[in-house]
Amino acid sequence: MQSCRRKSLWLALLASWLLGLLGILPLLRLAVPTGPRAGAPQGWPRWLDAELLQSFLQPGELPEDAPQLRRAPRGGSCDWGACFDTSKCRSGGFKVFVYPAAEPTSEMQHKILASIEGSRYHTVSPTEACLHLLTLDAPAGACSLVPPKWNGGKNHLVLRLHPASCSGTFQLGWAMVAEASPTVDTFRPGFDVALPLLPEAHPVRGGAPGQLRQHSPHPGAALLALAEERGGWRVAATDSSACPWDGHCEQDHGPEQTHPGAALPNATFCLIPGRRADALRFLQALQAGCIPVLLSPRWELPFSEVIDWTKAAIVADKRLPLQVLAALQEMPPTRVLALRQQTQFLWDTYFSSVEKVIRTALESLRSFCRSFRTGSSEHPLTHRCCGTAPQGHSWPCPRSPRVPWTSPSITYSRILVLWSNDKPPPPSWPETAVPLLVIEGHRKVSARFFPHSAISTDAILSLDAHSSLSTSEVDFAFVVWQSFPERMVGFLTWSHFWDEAQGRWGYTAERVNEFSMVLTSAAFYHRYYHTLFTHSLPKALRRLAEAAPHCVDVLMNFLVAAATKLPPIKVPSGRRHEDASPPRVPGDLGPAARDCIDRVAAGFGHMPLVSSRLRLDPVLFKDPVSVLRKKYRGLEKP
Amino acid sequence: MCASVKYNIRGPALIPRMKIKHRIYYITLFSVVLLGLIATGVFQFWPHSIESSNDWSVEKRSVRDVPVVRLPADSPIPERGDLSCRMHTCFDVYRCGFNPKNKIKVFIYSLKKYVDDSGVPVSNTISREYNELLTAISDSDYYTDDITRACLFVPSIDVLNQNTLRIKETAQALAQLSRWDRGTNHLLFNMLPGGPPDYNTALDVPRDRALLAGGGFSTWTYRQGYDVSIPVYSPLSAEVDLPEKGPGPRRYFLLSSQMALHPEYREELGALQAKHGESVLVLDKCTNLSEDVLSVRKRCHEHQVFDYPQVLQEATFCVVLRGARLGQAVLSDVLRAGCVPVVIADSYILPFSEVLDWKRASVVVPEEKMADVYSILQSIPQRQIEEMQRQARWFWEAYFQSIKAIALATLQIINDRIYPYAAISYEEWNDPPTVKWGSVSNPLFLPLIPPQSQGFTAIVLTYDRVESLFRVITEVSKVPSLSKLLVVWNNQNKSPPEESLWPKIRVPLKVVRTAENKLSNRFFPYDEIETEAVLAIDDDIIMLTSDELQFGYEVWREFPDRLVGYPGRLHLWDHEMSKWKYESEWTNEVSMVLTGAAFYHKYFNYLYTYKMPGDIKNWVDAHMNCEDIAMNFLVANVTGKAVIKVTPRKKFKCPECTAIDGLSLDQTHMVERSECINKFASVFGTMPLKVVEHRADPVLYKDDFPEKLKSFPNIGSL
Repeated sequence: MQSCRRKSLWLALLASWLLGLLGILPLLRLAVPTGPRAGAPQGWPRWLDAELLQSFLQPGELPEDAPQLRRAPRGGSCDWGACFDTSKCRSGGFKVFVYPAAEPTSEMQHKILASIEGSRYHTVSPTEACLHLLTLDAPAGACSLVPPKWNGGKNHLVLRLHPASCSGTFQLGWAMVAEASPTVDTFRPGFDVALPLLPEAHPVRGGAPGQLRQHSPHPGAALLALAEERGGWRVAATDSSACPWDGHCEQDHGPEQTHPGAALPNATFCLIPGRRADALRFLQALQAGCIPVLLSPRWELPFSEVIDWTKAAIVADKRLPLQVLAALQEMPPTRVLALRQQTQFLWDTYFSSVEKVIRTALESLRSFCRSFRTGSSEHPLTHRCCGTAPQGHSWPCPRSPRVPWTSPSITYSRILVLWSNDKPPPPSWPETAVPLLVIEGHRKVSARFFPHSAISTDAILSLDAHSSLSTSEVDFAFVVWQSFPERMVGFLTWSHFWDEAQGRWGYTAERVNEFSMVLTSAAFYHRYYHTLFTHSLPKALRRLAEAAPHCVDVLMNFLVAAATKLPPIKVPSGRRHEDASPPRVPGDLGPAARDCIDRVAAGFGHMPLVSSRLRLDPVLFKDPVSVLRKKYRGLEKP
Repeated sequence: MCASVKYNIRGPALIPRMKIKHRIYYITLFSVVLLGLIATGVFQFWPHSIESSNDWSVEKRSVRDVPVVRLPADSPIPERGDLSCRMHTCFDVYRCGFNPKNKIKVFIYSLKKYVDDSGVPVSNTISREYNELLTAISDSDYYTDDITRACLFVPSIDVLNQNTLRIKETAQALAQLSRWDRGTNHLLFNMLPGGPPDYNTALDVPRDRALLAGGGFSTWTYRQGYDVSIPVYSPLSAEVDLPEKGPGPRRYFLLSSQMALHPEYREELGALQAKHGESVLVLDKCTNLSEDVLSVRKRCHEHQVFDYPQVLQEATFCVVLRGARLGQAVLSDVLRAGCVPVVIADSYILPFSEVLDWKRASVVVPEEKMADVYSILQSIPQRQIEEMQRQARWFWEAYFQSIKAIALATLQIINDRIYPYAAISYEEWNDPPTVKWGSVSNPLFLPLIPPQSQGFTAIVLTYDRVESLFRVITEVSKVPSLSKLLVVWNNQNKSPPEESLWPKIRVPLKVVRTAENKLSNRFFPYDEIETEAVLAIDDDIIMLTSDELQFGYEVWREFPDRLVGYPGRLHLWDHEMSKWKYESEWTNEVSMVLTGAAFYHKYFNYLYTYKMPGDIKNWVDAHMNCEDIAMNFLVANVTGKAVIKVTPRKKFKCPECTAIDGLSLDQTHMVERSECINKFASVFGTMPLKVVEHRADPVLYKDDFPEKLKSFPNIGSL
């Protein structure tokens, strides 16, 4: 009985187990292939016959294919290679001829034309020019006729400050167009020039410097300022992310500015809508050091061909406002710091005055004139500095080689003598350890700052015939220069001041606690400044240098200060030099010499000089320790 | 058996019988439940297992087995490409909306074979390269298999080579894709556009708003900021093993290796060769090779036979002329060989020109100027040529080398357009790794002299030396430019003194209590710091005069990106021990300043706290030493600049302290400091410190001049 019961029991158990096993086994078997699925993306399949697939090049078809000659450029679209005749640039280099304007036009146009005429590329002869400039802004109905040398627009630049002017009457053909904030639809990249939209009151030269006073945003500064439709800026509350900038929740926001355009925004980021009219705000933000955040701009950013705007502005899609806001809030401090500084750099270098804007435009056009395009190597300090800045005018170098100015073991590599007397130079010169070259017959003072091809080193020690320096002085000054290759390093100094009584600038050697200029009668500087002096000074200043030779010192100091925005460096020198060269010290100079600084400042349009109150001495300079420990003993003598 | 059971029911006890009944009952119940469970299990998993097993086999299937789609002859055709398309007009950015990683999501349509009404295939199903390309996308971070979350769609219809497809039918195939929607957010890859006789520079397949990643765009067809210009992939990149050859002068100055050149161009090249002799080499197809030699890999000049692409490594400049198409695969071979391409193809949009700076790696010459090529190239200085050779090779390695590199660069460009605030910078795109690692980008690059009115914030780190601390506070408060004083109270066991006990000074004084006694608290970017200039000062530095501190601040204003301090220190290489050594006084050189009293930009506090490399910060806190050396390393590393030592001061010795710290203490101190330098140098992987031989003094320091008239007369003690 019992066994029967047990048996039935076991049987039932066995049956259930069997069933269970039968049920589980297929599951177990399936568990393996389902493994890789488990939620992971499936991806593009790995084909069994992937190896057998044919190449996209058909057999027998070469990657290079049948030859064909170029087509003639089609209208409407042009590029530099096709629509510009570089052969005209050959003889005279890059020269610009401006067609005389028929009518007195807007003030801005007047300023622009004046700036072009003041530039070193301007020429009065249309045959010499390789670029002919035509202004198209005119009162309605008074559009100028097609000029005589039009030639289908080839090598012509049409300046158009207002987009609609004369568009109906004129076939642009092969002419380039320089337009303020052109729309992206008509802009021809690599051919047209996008100018910034400038306010009528933009100064011709000089111009207000950038407003940034500190590198990093002030802890209390607002995150966002919004460009308002009526002009002016509104500081936005950052926490109200629900209605960040659509203008429908104005009651939440801070005080409104009453004078449109008068005040500059004080915030870290400036939101600018994409309408063309808002292009004006772009420059405002740039000047204020407020990082522009452009929402789907319909206009081309100024000089977009040569300026890497991603380093100074953010172009965002207006359709994703919340994302943009979140991205701005979370932007790492390092990036904010870099963007802020770049806004200022760009403003000061390219936009702060009409003259700078024009110079930038002409420099970028000048590259058309070169018969080929490749990297330029003219300036070691701007070497790939700011992306694709036009040559020669960018200074601060965010990237510098890690071992920049490797010092040669010999301080001098070559001595150049500029013999500027009518009498021939003496036949025999003292024996020197380094090559000595005599360049004759340059009566002009500016020859002193000419980039002679014989100058092969970066460092130049400029000397006068009557300056005398000790080896210690020169050695130490050179070592210091190597640490500050962008600045001038000199021994004797002047200082500038504003003469309240006469309402003008003056300079003196008497203010001894500070200085802002060093005398070039004995100074180290980079040879690049010779290039800058010879090739980038405006015409007026060059004429000044020729007319008043005693002003070149001042001019050179202005040039370096404008480029670096930093004071020069003074190194110690014995007093005897100052006694030795009385004519170079202007404390007792006549009125003509005192005039220099005022005239140079007028030529620059602003006062770039910066004062310093420090002198760089050797580490053990005049310390109460044995002279034998010191490296520059020659400097220790009283 | 069962009868006996039945019989037994009337058996002795009721309860056991019940038990057995229950048992059977339970067992049956159990079996039923178990069976039910199994049944549901099987039922539930069965369909999935069918699907997954099918998917599993998909992974292993052949291209020939893909589903066939028949396109009716009258199925819709997309409109021709819209030339005015820009990202903010034709691209639906909402699909890419919420994405915390700032990365677009790319979906790939599954592969299908398209045939027309009569069953004739529209194109080759897929080429090897396109398969590679889709595999690369699928393996990348961009890929998603969820069509609803995708921002960019890549059709699996292969249009790499226009000659292998039927234009109208391919367009119809595109139009019937499930998310086509006028081609919005669709990306097509094409390397060989156009066809005989007039070879358009963009794909002829009507594609409406679809983005085109094309090789061989001209300025007329390229939609700036919308399309992407890509290279024409050279199959030789994978087939041929070509060891890298460094830059430098090479045997031929100028080389032309293309086979299919227009006779007119060949004539001009021939003229160049005739004029300049040996230094110019113009190669052509070989005519007299035996059948078994691969003609693609050989080039000839008269009777000389050259291996291609090896011969490219023998030339400094290599001509890349336009063929019928503007984009030429030879560009890739040339770059690989480290030969500087001389691109002669008017209006050609160079590959990835949106982000790559081709001026650094190539010379672009207008077709008109071909005769002058030689003299143009000769005007380029040797140093620049070598730079370009290096750059050319780097471009190939990074962006031309493989189909994968091309695909990922294309997606990155589109990604950067959609998330511009997270975009890759010019330097990251263009600088070769050696330049990237070998250069510093100073975070404070703008030459900016902060206004004196801003002043500085003094941060005093203190533990419990209250008396000395109060003296420091009193002394420092005499400095005219001080704008705020911050005391970092580093003692957790003791509260700072009552407010009434603190010295009364003219500027705000704040006390910050810290959670832990750590040296790095000194360099924390406190919110209380409102000025850019920070003066770190120890609670026992009472010997600095007000003139010294004020002068130090003014020096900092001229050098805001540097550490400006008083006593200078030097690191030296010990040749005997082969390691760095710390040197303190009476040296002619300086490479560090002590932060017992030093001015610096507050940004460096942020860097010290959040961006210090390796474990240096913890190491300093654990050893309670060398925080100043760490700061010197950090600043020098990030700016590439030396410190500025001001005034002749050589050490912080308080006037009344006698020489309690003996020589032995000094010795261990020096050993510890040397160890720090060696440790940090190994973490930084380099020695960032810069040695200089100058210090900053006031202009009239020790000059023969009445002391009364000097700005900073009270400077000079050691």
